[in-house]
Amino acid sequence: MITLAVPSKGRLKEQFDAFLGKSGIALKQTAGARGYRATVEGHPGIDVMLLSSSEIAAALAGGDVHLGVTGEDLIREAVPELEGRVNLLKGLGFGFADVVVAVPKSWIDVSTLADLDDICAAYAVRYKKRLRIATKYKQLTRSFFAHAGISDYRIVPSAGATEGAPTAGTAEAIVDITTTGSTLKANGLKILDDGVILKSQAQLAMSLGAEWNDEQRAIAAAFLKPLGVEI
Amino acid sequence: MASFPTYGPEEIDALNGVADAVLGVFKHHGYTRHEPAVLQPAHLFVDRSGEEIRRRTYELSDPTGQELCLRPDLTIPTCKFQVDSGASFPARLCYHGLAFRHQPGAGQFWQAGAELLGLADRAAGDAEMMGLAAEAVRAGGVKDFSMLIGDLGLFNTLVDALEVPAQWRGRLKRHVWRTGYFEKLLARMVSGETNDTERTVDALAGLKLMELKPVIEALIDQEGDAPLGGRTREEIVERLMVQACDDSAPRLDPEVADLITKFLKVSGNGEAALEEIRVLTKPVAAKMVKPLAAMAERLHALKNMDIPLDRVRYVAHFGRNLEYYTGFVFEFWTRAGEVAGGGRYDTLLESLGAPRGTTAIGCAIRTERLLAARGEA
Repeated sequence: MITLAVPSKGRLKEQFDAFLGKSGIALKQTAGARGYRATVEGHPGIDVMLLSSSEIAAALAGGDVHLGVTGEDLIREAVPELEGRVNLLKGLGFGFADVVVAVPKSWIDVSTLADLDDICAAYAVRYKKRLRIATKYKQLTRSFFAHAGISDYRIVPSAGATEGAPTAGTAEAIVDITTTGSTLKANGLKILDDGVILKSQAQLAMSLGAEWNDEQRAIAAAFLKPLGVEI
Repeated sequence: MASFPTYGPEEIDALNGVADAVLGVFKHHGYTRHEPAVLQPAHLFVDRSGEEIRRRTYELSDPTGQELCLRPDLTIPTCKFQVDSGASFPARLCYHGLAFRHQPGAGQFWQAGAELLGLADRAAGDAEMMGLAAEAVRAGGVKDFSMLIGDLGLFNTLVDALEVPAQWRGRLKRHVWRTGYFEKLLARMVSGETNDTERTVDALAGLKLMELKPVIEALIDQEGDAPLGGRTREEIVERLMVQACDDSAPRLDPEVADLITKFLKVSGNGEAALEEIRVLTKPVAAKMVKPLAAMAERLHALKNMDIPLDRVRYVAHFGRNLEYYTGFVFEFWTRAGEVAGGGRYDTLLESLGAPRGTTAIGCAIRTERLLAARGEA
């Protein structure tokens, strides 16, 4: 048996069902399992678990499932070094979104990371504390900022509505996910010119931390082949 | 994954022996022992050392949701204790305890440290702290060591003295210790490809000085009710004025970049290196007199401590990358690696609530490494 984790609800679930449908594959909800379990028609060796997107990323990271479908942003946040832990098998062509650095539009003197670096340093000198970046992408933010040479800042964890943090006064700038940028704009924020951290989409991913014997590998290969993925 | 060792009876006895010898030296020189709490509020470190230190800090939250961390160093809590206590300066404090960092190898290490806080005479403070560290290392049983010293204050003075576009001075100073990144930054400044806020500055091109402010304010107003994100309008106006008054397409003179590169490559025997810097910085000699004199005085102090100067290496780009250090830094090295280090952090106390300009210098002795170094000898 292998386990495949797919989103339990929402756009991502519908789009994945449609994606499988194009290859003639359908998921079938298991009766009595309260909607948390399913099977794949024609693939009895696969146990399908319906989880939330972030749970799927965590399960891939921990080796608790063999395969999973979720956003690349969540996978990279859960597993900062993918090498040897999770293989991204296929970008699924939906769930597109960018993880970006956004600052208040009124900062007309700031349009690049180099500017933000100046602002962070000046802020630390002036206010004796670090400029706050609200985000739920702690790992992505840290490695991106480290690469850009920005160090005078602190991350404020955000559970939701990150884009409202600068207006609410709980952070000065944010790192968040955006599709069209309109929510950012509505909150008086702009994306830095070189502030795209990740162009994300839904990924079919394989956890290397899960047990993979020959039989399990064969089950996965048979399922993945019609989807255009060789493992 | 870092490891967390349990110490056996012999190990802990040996370690305590070294610690007692080191603490004995501190006590003899009037440093009083403090024991900061192991668990500290996380923001205390993040606000002062930045997010980078957080990558290596063990954080946890208590049942009420307060964010705590295992102390990644003992300097900040010790300094905070002094400021909060309201006791007078100068003050001499010391400690011995475990610090915790997520890093390869052991995730915890013993440190015996001393802090000299609020001594106005910096030269005297530098000499006292280097002497204290040297004596402590020797008391810990290690007589054979070499020293590494550096002072980014010298570099900062040089950058201010040279013809560098005003808005770039801070960048050069901030990134000097990032090898690789700094060279690229310098090259970008020479070529003029720095990705600055060109559009806004272009819009200001050709305006007279007195026209600048209202135009900038109008540009901010165009953004309507966008949040100011913790900054003031004045800050934004001021930064753009500086950029607009400078060359509209600033470039760093290749000769200046060359001088900076050569300066940062200086490394070697203390006195010879200092002479090399003197020659190199001749074009701005007047501005360099003070920091060069301070460095010469430190070398003189070392000579008085029976530390042969051929064992003291000055490295121009040496600055400790813990971000509260402000200039002068030193390290003691043996075949077993670095056994002690220290330096000046003259802005830390103010950030903790002390009066502006309260100086601070300190050192930390890695007692476990002293033991290892004794074994090597």
